[in-house]
Amino acid sequence: MEAKLSEASRRVAPSPIQELSHLAQRVGAVNLAEGFPDFPAPAHVKAAASAAIAADHNQYRHVQGICDILAKRMKRDHGLDVDPLTDFAICCGQSEAFAAAIFATIDQGDEVLVFDPAFETYQTCIELALGVPVYVPLDPPSWTLNEDKFLKSFTNRTKAVVLNSPHNPTGKVFSQEELLIIARACQKMDCFAITDEVYEYITYDKNKHISLASLPGMQYRTIITSSLSKTYSVTGWRIGWACASANIASAIRNIHVKLTDSAPAPFQEAALVALTSTPDFYSSLKKDYTARRDFILQMLTDFGFHISFKPQGSIFVFAELRRSWQLSDMDLVKSLITNAGVAAVPGCGFFHTSTGDQSCHHRYVRFAFCKSNDTLNAAAQKLRKLADDQAMM
Amino acid sequence: MWTQQFRRATRHRLLYAILTNGGNPPSPPGGGATRPARLGLPRPHARMNLGGTLAATAPRHEMPLKPSSFLLSSSLRRSLLASVVVRKVSPTAAAALSPMASASTVAAENGAAKPTETQPVQVAKRLEKFKTTIFTQMSMLAIKHGAINLGQGFPNFDGPDFVKEAAIQAINAGKNQYARGYGVPELNSAIAERFLKDSGLQVDPEKEVTVTSGCTEAIAATILGLINPGDEVILFAPFYDSYEATLSMAGANVKAITLRPPDFSVPLEELKAAVSKNTRAIMINTPHNPTGKMFTREELEFIAALCKENDVLLFADEVYDKLAFEADHISMASIPGMYERTVTMNSLGKTFSLTGWKIGWAIAPPHLTWGVRQAHSFLTFATCTPMQAAAAAALRAPDSYYEELRRDYGAKKALLVNGLKDAGFIVYPSSGTYFIMVDHTPFGFDNDIEFCEYLIREVGVVAIPPSVFYLNPEDGKNLVRFTFCKDDETLRAAVERMKTKLKKK
Repeated sequence: MEAKLSEASRRVAPSPIQELSHLAQRVGAVNLAEGFPDFPAPAHVKAAASAAIAADHNQYRHVQGICDILAKRMKRDHGLDVDPLTDFAICCGQSEAFAAAIFATIDQGDEVLVFDPAFETYQTCIELALGVPVYVPLDPPSWTLNEDKFLKSFTNRTKAVVLNSPHNPTGKVFSQEELLIIARACQKMDCFAITDEVYEYITYDKNKHISLASLPGMQYRTIITSSLSKTYSVTGWRIGWACASANIASAIRNIHVKLTDSAPAPFQEAALVALTSTPDFYSSLKKDYTARRDFILQMLTDFGFHISFKPQGSIFVFAELRRSWQLSDMDLVKSLITNAGVAAVPGCGFFHTSTGDQSCHHRYVRFAFCKSNDTLNAAAQKLRKLADDQAMM
Repeated sequence: MWTQQFRRATRHRLLYAILTNGGNPPSPPGGGATRPARLGLPRPHARMNLGGTLAATAPRHEMPLKPSSFLLSSSLRRSLLASVVVRKVSPTAAAALSPMASASTVAAENGAAKPTETQPVQVAKRLEKFKTTIFTQMSMLAIKHGAINLGQGFPNFDGPDFVKEAAIQAINAGKNQYARGYGVPELNSAIAERFLKDSGLQVDPEKEVTVTSGCTEAIAATILGLINPGDEVILFAPFYDSYEATLSMAGANVKAITLRPPDFSVPLEELKAAVSKNTRAIMINTPHNPTGKMFTREELEFIAALCKENDVLLFADEVYDKLAFEADHISMASIPGMYERTVTMNSLGKTFSLTGWKIGWAIAPPHLTWGVRQAHSFLTFATCTPMQAAAAAALRAPDSYYEELRRDYGAKKALLVNGLKDAGFIVYPSSGTYFIMVDHTPFGFDNDIEFCEYLIREVGVVAIPPSVFYLNPEDGKNLVRFTFCKDDETLRAAVERMKTKLKKK
């Protein structure tokens, strides 16, 4: 009966991230692998959800208020004029918003440019829709956009460019100049841009998240996707959205309605409260994450990792292996799990290009620092111990 | 005949546009009373899939409908879909519709407010089968006229306290991060336990149960995970709208076998003729929305024989299995030889009146579960965590909960059935679900849509015109679907309105 599986599903392999996570679970490792917090969600947001359940907001629902608030936010933060009545689809997480956006725009054989290294989900969504992912490598060590490589990746079948900024796994925040390059190319080649902006409120130092849609000529052709998950530490609630010009948003909604019909009702209600958090909330969020970032950078540097690029945003650091270690990323991660009890993700799972310079593919490990102080301290302790043990050996 | 079709189609678009324009007729193409275009793009004049202008309560229904597509030729149908941007739908415009050409885009890009005559829609071809929702239209009309809504297939009462409390507890206990992709272990176990009780089948919660965002996603993941473009899939009409749309998204070749009144039994010989070695899958929904039919053991065994003979998969949507009144629900998976080729789909929403929680699942043998899980992990990645914890509590409800559920719904059903009979409808027997199909022809209307519009405007009750649930809408034009998943007061009021205001011809 295996012959009955669809071709699309057969191309898809189980996530290497999830497999290592199972190993980490088995040995009880400190989990710096998966990108979700182990500290509680904000109290005011949880309370709103409980209140919604108790107040019987439990049937199929579309909470228009979410769109109204998002529209105001987009105006305030990015100068975007969007219509809350027509330009949104509320989905089960950014995951579903992205899947719906892909299904709404990608036909068989359409090419989609994705910057490499890349979060693993994009490729599979594109392939499920019978599209062709085309990877554009970012240049290490700072993961800069190489305009030449980028422009050469376009063909007459290119339908869309996927932009994840702030970026998983590198922590890069695409600069104004880079966004201009992307914008010019999208307009010249008449493609969509599909953005994943889930880390939009987690940026560091002077780095500011700029929404690609806010660049001249881009709003019309950009589909923005984002969610509550990372900003409000509720990755398990599945509330996300897509925002696009009316006819595109309508197509996305049509798909979404067939995929899941609606996002969980009580959490849509809670989103109204989350999305109207005070400015203090966002400044605390940044401050807390900055402290975590700095802590983990110190921890990794002490252990011997080479931090060639300091995260400008997101909850990840992409640490480079020391050459003298003579280990691949997979081997190092396995060793960290089994010998130190600390789990991280080998970078190879994020690299996809099969041509050109692949020397960096096995040289990076991704650490998540969206973890409580206890967890981070425990990880630091374990790594220190391993380093000491190894030094003695 | 074509002119007649076009006239009806225009009337529907007009009706739709009036509703979405808040009562004003749509402005002529080129602007006028519509809002100024952003970025020089023309405003769509008929909003499709309107999210709703009402704060928070515009319902996301469970059964989105197509417009009167049966009245349109297929090219006009495509243009209706695309008429989100095409403002003047003429036959030539429809024929001219094509994926967006660069030229018109570039013209608009300059920022000049130059609405193009036929702005093509740059969306994927798979959307051709995705139509606008008459349901939204009906709901808006209902609100406008203060009609009692027996159309929407979700309750206007809420779920049991013990389940809601479990969810609140889960939120407070911090169960708010990503759940395991295929389900929280506790819920997978509870689902397996319940399935054992219901079907007698023992399944492995780790390898054979996948939790999804509602049964809708179980259906989407099953189809996208197991169906290839060009595969032949057989449905029974009338069918829940997402089946055909999702199958078309997967590029399947859909065949429908029509179930007909009075008992909507499966036309066995017709089905046998339709199934061949080319058939990849058959989809069944039992108990059946919208007819209330429950597939009999004889029918299931007949279908099973065809599946085994031709190596066909079986997708079973059993979301109403706990609302079985006149017969026992039988899972196809429990028919000998069928488990290995069956995906059984279900959800929490209908049984526990929590349709907005989006907790569903698919049960299938490991080699089929794998495909479902692949698609699922890239559609939504994981399902809402706190609700999963609460769902586990719900599924462990004692038998008394289910008995009471059946009793309460049974009483509502009697209320509505008797009321509909008294009002003059021909009422078909419904063995399960919370839907009843009736024949409206005693009232002298040509088709179901016209009747339903009249019912809203003059009688003040909403029902669903089911013709859109057929591949050939003519098959449904005499029928109307009512639901009784409403509180007693609502049902009584609706019945009263129908008894006093419906006029037989």
